[in-house]
Amino acid sequence: MHTFLEFIAILAVIIGTAFSVLGVLGFIRMPDVYTRLHATGKVSIFGVVLLLLATVALTPLEFGKGLVLIVLLVVGGPVTSHAIGSAAHRIGIPMKRAIRDDLAAIEQTPP
Amino acid sequence: MHYIRTIVILLIIYLALTGNLQLSNIVLGTLVSTVAALLLRPQPGPTDLRRLPAAGWALIRYTAILAVDVVKSGIGVARIVLDPALPIQPGIIAIDSGCDSELGTALSAHALSVTPGELVIGIDKAGTLYTHCLDATHSAEYVADAQAMRRDLLSKIFP
Repeated sequence: MHTFLEFIAILAVIIGTAFSVLGVLGFIRMPDVYTRLHATGKVSIFGVVLLLLATVALTPLEFGKGLVLIVLLVVGGPVTSHAIGSAAHRIGIPMKRAIRDDLAAIEQTPP
Repeated sequence: MHYIRTIVILLIIYLALTGNLQLSNIVLGTLVSTVAALLLRPQPGPTDLRRLPAAGWALIRYTAILAVDVVKSGIGVARIVLDPALPIQPGIIAIDSGCDSELGTALSAHALSVTPGELVIGIDKAGTLYTHCLDATHSAEYVADAQAMRRDLLSKIFP
């Protein structure tokens, strides 16, 4: 059982690290701040969740603590991405390769 | 009553984080939770214990859907990143949240933000979610349909 748990944890470390690296790669490859948020906010969170799961299995970190950290990460991650994206749009950072922008259409309409 | 409910929830999170069930830690956790609850100023909401099983079941289903979405989202965006052609057609589309309450709209926005290729950038007073999509060729109706099931579950958890 212990060996099986270790195997799962090592698999989680490898996949988690791979996704964290992919998050960084996405950050470099994506063309603007909005698309970069998808890469860092989603791929990286998935990677960190897997690394946390491995930490729970391999280290003396309690299950409850790991679970709360995962919940905080999954709840807080999209909020952070939203805050950065919203601020970027509000200060007028343009989207690259965009095919439509419904929010700009609303902002330009006089109240 | 709503203060006690918030204090109990915060205390459970505190005890899970510290992993220590000694009496001194429980007392300290109660104090910290009370101060946090006073700072949070929770709004009174309906407390009906009879709908607790239905809400619990909806919460389990929502968590499972959320977990699947996080995995799909990670894999989906990773595939785009690894594609040499970088197949994205980004844009911001307006989606009606369909919720009247602020909490419902916020949770709806969160559910939408964890789905693959979508990120809520702005919310207006009418509850419309302005969502940045990596593939904006999807119509607003397509995204709204996918959102409807999550919204139903959320309405059972937070009526």
